[in-house]
Amino acid sequence: MPRPAANLESPPTGPTGRRRTLRLRVARNRFGGLPTTTAGVERAFTVFIAGVRLGTVAQMVPTLYPGMQSSPRPGLYLTTWLAGAVAALTVSVASLVRGRALGPVPLLADFALASAVMLVGPLVVGSEDRVGTWVGFQPGYALSVIITAVGPRSPVVPVIGLLAVIGSYAVHVSGATVEVLGLTTILGNELTFVVYALVCRMLSTYMRRIARDADTSRAVAAELARREEERRAQVLMHNGVAVMRLLTEPNLSDEARVRLLEHAEVELRQMRAYLSREPSPGTTTSSAGPDLHRSQADAASLADAVRRTCARFRDLPIELALDLGTGIRMTSRKIEVVTRALDSLLLNIREHAKAELVVVHLDADPDGSWILTVNDNGSGFDTTSTTQGVGLREVVVGELEREGYAVEVTSRVGDGTTATIMYAAQAVPTQPGKRPRAAS
Amino acid sequence: MRPAVAVVDDASVIRESIAILMSEIQVVAAVPTVEELMRRSPPADLVVLDLHLANAAQPDVRQGIAAIRALTARGYRVCVYSQEERRFVLAACIAAGAHGIVSKSLSAAAAQQNFVEVAGGGTVIPHSVIGLLEVLVRRKAITVLTERQRQVLHGRARGFSYGQLARHLFTGESTLRGYWKDITETLSDYLTSATPAEIEHALGLAPGDLLEFWPDGETSANWWRTASG
Repeated sequence: MPRPAANLESPPTGPTGRRRTLRLRVARNRFGGLPTTTAGVERAFTVFIAGVRLGTVAQMVPTLYPGMQSSPRPGLYLTTWLAGAVAALTVSVASLVRGRALGPVPLLADFALASAVMLVGPLVVGSEDRVGTWVGFQPGYALSVIITAVGPRSPVVPVIGLLAVIGSYAVHVSGATVEVLGLTTILGNELTFVVYALVCRMLSTYMRRIARDADTSRAVAAELARREEERRAQVLMHNGVAVMRLLTEPNLSDEARVRLLEHAEVELRQMRAYLSREPSPGTTTSSAGPDLHRSQADAASLADAVRRTCARFRDLPIELALDLGTGIRMTSRKIEVVTRALDSLLLNIREHAKAELVVVHLDADPDGSWILTVNDNGSGFDTTSTTQGVGLREVVVGELEREGYAVEVTSRVGDGTTATIMYAAQAVPTQPGKRPRAAS
Repeated sequence: MRPAVAVVDDASVIRESIAILMSEIQVVAAVPTVEELMRRSPPADLVVLDLHLANAAQPDVRQGIAAIRALTARGYRVCVYSQEERRFVLAACIAAGAHGIVSKSLSAAAAQQNFVEVAGGGTVIPHSVIGLLEVLVRRKAITVLTERQRQVLHGRARGFSYGQLARHLFTGESTLRGYWKDITETLSDYLTSATPAEIEHALGLAPGDLLEFWPDGETSANWWRTASG
């Protein structure tokens, strides 16, 4: 019964095939899993070195026996062959074990051995076998040493080694029996030494630079993530701290204390939610876009959220004017950012402004743009000399701008404060007294 | 010269204290009912009127919109002085002919300033009603405002002071006050002349939503519309 032809596309089956597949996968993963760090690149160099050196030995093996037979001194031929093979094995194992390529001194010894093997070449390899055959394995072996000389950062040892190899190769081929084509091969081999040395040097230097830059970038990203987390914690704590500070006021009325306790409960829930959430790497949000404000499954009314937030400040003389913005719908995440900023603004007013009137006004355009204005007629402050606290700087301005909103806080001593939060579906410049132009 | 003001309030403390606390106005009468004021008919630049006048001692007196209409029919300028905060009720008071609405939660100084302004021919509209009027203007129910007047309304609806508006619009505060006087008169005229159905349509309310508030509505069950008796 004829057996079906092997399908090259199908995966190996049976226990042996599965083991081979598994080994290949493990090997691929181990190499592909090397970290893209400076240490990872050095580790990759060791794999490269072992591959090149042991691969060269593998190329030398088939010609060992014919080489000994044709050699005028078979014993010395075998000795030099074994010296090269043992050196290649030693360098490979040492590199893999150390996790990095050879340093300058071992590399110099490696070059010295390769040059010595090549200088002995005329004694052990017949003149007709010294060019273009693996019986004369010495130049090929020396090339593997040149290619894998990526260890030292300084070019001194590789250059000395290269010159030694070039000189010893000249000696190696000096008595060779060659035709015209053989001369070009000799010249090509010399150039190969030089070109490979340069290319490998450039490549290794470049890879190390990439790894170094990657390490630096990771460090910067980690620092930015740390700062972002610190900022988020700062933003989250701000309103809670403000409420706690107000609760410690000795002359607080019972009604105000009840309101503040309600407020503290809300802040407490938000802090608990923050503490129980999954850690997020670096920045956590994308900028606001038109689609974020409309037709979303979890969209909620901004006006309702503003009304609920203001209800926690019933001790303030707040006038709500939200009719023009009742159609605005946003994701709960976006609403949370806006209401947190509003919360912070109202806390500031409660704490500092002594206002007789606070107007919270919401306005929207058909194109999805909207403006939330919080104006108080309180004491105001000098924006040119007052450093904005964490509340205004981070919770209101910083947090909102990171979310893609434009924020403007204007104030004047004795003439109140106005905070304007603007979301522009398109670029919408605005100022009090002028409505943003709707998109046509 | 101090404006002559008549006070109508069922709370005797308020009737008696206004003259003491507000030195820039001259209280020429302080009575508990509209009926008594009309009986006396004192000459006055302004009547400061509480909206809710009925109580156990005077259960059947005229109050609310009926009181405003009765006083304006006699030629008085009326400024409502009340704790009422429902904006449609307040807007209905403007529609019934009141020239000012002042909240009792304001400080005595601020309230006095508003009384003087209304007595002098001005109009004082509470912020919640300004918000309603801005919606009516935006939705083109009120079209008679100039571009400059719209800008002033836009700023006032957001709570901007005259000083803040003057800096942004590059004009003087007195000019803005003139604009605001014209605007409030225009808006007040609109509320007086518009039907509830027109306002309901402009505000996106359901038909009949305003009837229980408005002066021309047919329902008479609510105290602010008519005398309870």
